[in-house]
Amino acid sequence: MPILIAPINQMLTIKRVSGSDKERKHLESLGIVPGRNLTVLKATSNGVIVMVDEMRLAIDCNVAMSIVVAA
Amino acid sequence: MSSKVLNVALAGNPNCGKTTLFNSLTGSTAYVGNWPGVTVEKREGKYKSKDGLVVDVVDLPGIYSLSPYTPEEVVSRNFILEEHPDVVINVLDATNLERNLYMTTQILEMDVPVVIALNMMDAVENNGMSIDAEAIAKKLGVRVVKISALRNKGLDELMKVASEVAGEKREGKSFWDYGEYASKVDEAIAIYKKEEVTDPLFHAVKALEGDEIEAEKNHLAFEKVKELGVNIDEFEANSADKRYKYITNELAKYRTGAPVQESKKLSISDKIDRVLTNKWAAIPILLVLLWIIFHVTFAGDLLYMHQWFGLELEDYPGFISFTLADGETYTPFAGLFYTADGVNSIGEFFHVLAGDNETGILGLICLGIKQLLLVMGTPDPIVMVIYDGVLNGVAAVVGFVPQILILFLFFSILEDSGYMARVAFVLDRIFRRFGVSGRAFLPMIMGLGCGVPAMVNTRTLNSDKERIKTIRVIPYFTCGAKADILAAVSASVALSFGWNADLFTMGMYVMGFAMAIVVVILMNKTTQREEVPPFIMELPAYHMPQPKAVAIHVWDKGKHFLKKAGTIILISTIVITMMENLTWDWRFIPAFEEAALEEIQALGYASYEAMEASSMLSSLGKVIMPLFTPIGFGTQLNSTGWVFGVSTIQGIVAKENVTGTLTALAGIVGQDIEGLEDGDAVSQMFAATGITAGGIMGFTVFNLLTIPCFASVGTAKGELPTKKSYIGTILFWLLGAYVIASLFYLFTDAVVGNFGLVGGIVIPIVIVALVACTFFAVHFYDKKMRAKEALSA
Repeated sequence: MPILIAPINQMLTIKRVSGSDKERKHLESLGIVPGRNLTVLKATSNGVIVMVDEMRLAIDCNVAMSIVVAA
Repeated sequence: MSSKVLNVALAGNPNCGKTTLFNSLTGSTAYVGNWPGVTVEKREGKYKSKDGLVVDVVDLPGIYSLSPYTPEEVVSRNFILEEHPDVVINVLDATNLERNLYMTTQILEMDVPVVIALNMMDAVENNGMSIDAEAIAKKLGVRVVKISALRNKGLDELMKVASEVAGEKREGKSFWDYGEYASKVDEAIAIYKKEEVTDPLFHAVKALEGDEIEAEKNHLAFEKVKELGVNIDEFEANSADKRYKYITNELAKYRTGAPVQESKKLSISDKIDRVLTNKWAAIPILLVLLWIIFHVTFAGDLLYMHQWFGLELEDYPGFISFTLADGETYTPFAGLFYTADGVNSIGEFFHVLAGDNETGILGLICLGIKQLLLVMGTPDPIVMVIYDGVLNGVAAVVGFVPQILILFLFFSILEDSGYMARVAFVLDRIFRRFGVSGRAFLPMIMGLGCGVPAMVNTRTLNSDKERIKTIRVIPYFTCGAKADILAAVSASVALSFGWNADLFTMGMYVMGFAMAIVVVILMNKTTQREEVPPFIMELPAYHMPQPKAVAIHVWDKGKHFLKKAGTIILISTIVITMMENLTWDWRFIPAFEEAALEEIQALGYASYEAMEASSMLSSLGKVIMPLFTPIGFGTQLNSTGWVFGVSTIQGIVAKENVTGTLTALAGIVGQDIEGLEDGDAVSQMFAATGITAGGIMGFTVFNLLTIPCFASVGTAKGELPTKKSYIGTILFWLLGAYVIASLFYLFTDAVVGNFGLVGGIVIPIVIVALVACTFFAVHFYDKKMRAKEALSA
């Protein structure tokens, strides 16, 4: 499921990242790579705040739709 | 190596403390903020150790990887590859080791000597963790030094290690498993070696990843690598995956103890975030915070104790009173703590303390000079020109500086706490609807300090169009110099029209924000159509604002003001005052009280007014006056009304000049009016020129929205992508401000009844109708274009 609708405060595994090359590479350098873990801290209509390693990352809804995770 | 000065570059992720390290090493005062992307240009400084080691240090913009995402990131990559520093110090935020090490695996693929600096070790240790630096050093084959840039720990050792490593030969090395691609990587390296490109491993890997810059810079080699038939998308995904795997499996184990994630400090950040980024509360909280800041900075009636709660006071009498040689008595510190209008806010206290040419500390200095001139027997007209003209103008600019520094103090505290990044996130959804991402909020808010660094910061934005839109509206965020104008004008409108000074000031700030929104919407629907770029931003942990970082901000701003006051403002005030007091045949115009009619008639003028009207400035001012008639301060004013036009033109050079010129002229023009002894010089001048409330509105709005200053015009030229967009921006700043100012002029005067009953009803209706028509036209244009775009897509 996309992180926008993923359960909150739960360790999730990144399955797939879609979107443009440029965007994907940027997300990669931020640690959003298939196979790694993240936690969704907050998901509102403003966007999503996720925790990757020890970093909080704010992401808008469109990008949040392009990151697919599984529990 | 000791004979040559070492050249060391600081590279690392955004917000990992590079600039703090740079400031600590070099004693510089570069801008530090608690959000990613503060540094957008490389910066150079010198480090000198106690034992004579001298190092040139270069601070590079923070980057998450060596595949750049935005323009400022290209600077960092190119510097390392092309300028060949002796050593790269890879600064890591040790509290977030894994993500920071990702770029390390890329840097290590270059041939440059590398030292790893584990920054923020104090925070790591406070969280009960430890990092085995030795083990990491052994694994990666480079030296690792633990430091705390903020607490000045380990810095000398870091530089010592850097100087030892410099000059050592190092060959780039990959730390991840190429897997099935191993042979292809070797072939690609061979191609780059044959082409004699330096750092062959780094370039070969980047070429296999299909890197855009690589395709451009090493075209020949890139094309040959392409022929190897590797699927670049797969290779790229594989390399990212394997790099992280290496970090997680081989390096992460050297950090022991509780992960930061579960520590107390971070959960506090989450708790604060729950409130500050709350869907409903976030924006009201932001507005309340802004209101508090403005109230505490500008209010003359703190907490409305006088107006709302009936606190009755008499003006604070001041503690000094003296009489000068010309027989006038001064009490420079009257009203320091409170006035009949209420208790002074902190900002207002500092404003009165600094004062103008006859009050406060500046007043003591200016009056001292005046007394000296009088005692020396200087002729009165010259005393008048120096004291009422030049000193008056310069003191007016400087007098508001402490108040504006208080404003900056609050902004710096907000910025340094980590709050601003949250605001950018919260505003993203709304901004997106307007036509820019929330990321654009950061350069915009920087614009409240100074537009020049704000425009440079737009490099962190994602697309050219987003950059154009943001640069165009940055002047709408009232900068420090404009705050100076507002402070001067609001004090005078309070006296002249009885308006509330801090509400007027805040209203003008809000007007700027509102115009920025409107203009971004209009651009996004017409000339700068685009899909709004994505918003992806790191939210730094909250921390208590660091006194040092905040002090650097405020001090830098103050220095900037004082430097300007001593140069451009002083010179233009002198020129303006001289031109006001000389006629074209170089005759000196005496002060009003001094002028005997016979004397003036002997010079060939019918009356005093006739002579004054033929001063250089007055005659030039009258030429340009019609230009300002539609915005309320042109030919409809009295013969002295050109002062507003002259100030405005001066303001295009530097906005501080508006306050300086206006006050200097007020000292001369305003005092010719008899029976106007009370109030300040500027409000006397309002009366002398007969300017209306609408005229003042037009004057203020035009000055706030038009070309900010020559410095920002130059910056905009450098930052805007094309010449066309640059010329468009300049025209837009002039014409946009003109149109909006005229609307404000007409509307205000209609509402206060200056156009009679009919005008009071008709004008507002016409204005609203015009604005509505414009919006409808733009809306339909947008609709048409969208249909077209949908068709072609």
